Amino acid sequence: MRTAVILITFLVATTMISAVLFTKDGLEREAELSVQSAPDLTLQYLKGGRVEPINASYISLISEIPGVEKVLKRTWGYAGIGKYTFVVVGLDPDGLDYSRGVITSLEDGRFLTPEDEGTGNIVIGKLLAYMLNVKVGDDIILLSESVETNKFHVVGLFSDASSIYTADMILMSLGDANKFFSMPEGQVTDLCVYVSPSENPATVASRMNSIPNLRVLDQDLLLRGYKAAYGARGGIFTTLWTILLVAVALIAFSQAIVVGHESQFEVGLLKTFGFSTLDIIEVRLAESLVIGFFATSLGMLLGFSYAAFLNAPGLVDILLGWAYLPREFRLPVYVSLQSVFSIYAVTVIPLLITTVVPAWLNAITDPELAMRRAAA
Amino acid sequence: MLPVLAIVLTAALVSVSIYSESQWSMREYDRALREVVSLPSIAIGTNYEGTRNPLIEVFVRSMYDVPGGYDYIVSSSFIDTPTRLRDFRETIPGFNFTAVKG
Repeated sequence: MRTAVILITFLVATTMISAVLFTKDGLEREAELSVQSAPDLTLQYLKGGRVEPINASYISLISEIPGVEKVLKRTWGYAGIGKYTFVVVGLDPDGLDYSRGVITSLEDGRFLTPEDEGTGNIVIGKLLAYMLNVKVGDDIILLSESVETNKFHVVGLFSDASSIYTADMILMSLGDANKFFSMPEGQVTDLCVYVSPSENPATVASRMNSIPNLRVLDQDLLLRGYKAAYGARGGIFTTLWTILLVAVALIAFSQAIVVGHESQFEVGLLKTFGFSTLDIIEVRLAESLVIGFFATSLGMLLGFSYAAFLNAPGLVDILLGWAYLPREFRLPVYVSLQSVFSIYAVTVIPLLITTVVPAWLNAITDPELAMRRAAA
Repeated sequence: MLPVLAIVLTAALVSVSIYSESQWSMREYDRALREVVSLPSIAIGTNYEGTRNPLIEVFVRSMYDVPGGYDYIVSSSFIDTPTRLRDFRETIPGFNFTAVKG
């Protein structure tokens, strides 16, 4: 009975906590990868502490700063289709030179080229393609914020391989995005700055301090923001972690009480057969190790399967709050050794401690007295 | 039986973990695509219309309004209140909440 209680409690607790922890680690790692591919510096225009569109005339000012290799314009924003919100990104034709490598994650069609500027050609993610039932060659009409209809022509469809990044994305040329968002003439959402490989982005950023109304973001700041958001301070994560600790504490308490009554007889018997105090502690230790490792390992494997293969139904909604996972989005799951050993540490070690102490207390009692007390 | 199962399951878990570690360390798909698109966020969307709430807007600004950024903050503060957490204010640069920070 005692073993069953421990097994079930540990199974439930470790399955829950490992599913959350592995998913959180996966999301954090994905965010890291994305930030690493972001521009060295992102420049925003601040007015009254609010982010507003930035004038493209800043480019000439920024380009003169030592260490700046290239400045690209970018317009992006959100577009509501049905009950979902999609990310619309307008790409600077100057950035579509494919100098950074070949884009292979297209399921069908092609990627944008500088010649697509102002043509209404778009590349879309799988979620949008699924929702609107469109394929390469189809036309779609999107309603903008200014209540204007905008016709676009699908020239490319992203593959499943890049869904985690592109599922909710509509890529178009900068001119088309500016028109879609009714951006004021000569203004874009932000500027992407690429720094010379020999220069430190932070040093180059410091040279922009005196430029008025400019906020400079480097990769490190973005990464810290994401890590803070996904970190252990996340409310639901902390709550689940607390539940696990409480469960372990309850089990520990239960162990202490039950062992005190049930195993007094066993301990007395073992001592009668010649077992020393150390032998008895060793037996109890081995028993707890087996139970602890069995339940915790099985729980973590279940948690991993739940998150990796089933996309953690139920739990992921709580984890993401008001955010949603697109249908084609595979939950990134990262089973780090650090997380695995952390879970072992908060489950197995407390179990060992709460087993050894009562076992030791029983073992140092006179065997006849222990058996008489247990029988009473 | 239980000791054998414990060893087998633990070994299986460590194997999964090592495999996962190696997979993630080698993961660099779509780097060219990500560099061309240049957005740092991953594809988690929002259904929450209340993001225009002035208080939440503070969180939006703390994340520099990266796509979906406010969702990360809102969801991570699902239970607790971020402004109560000293670490939150200190680790996110640009979180200009001086009245609380003191």
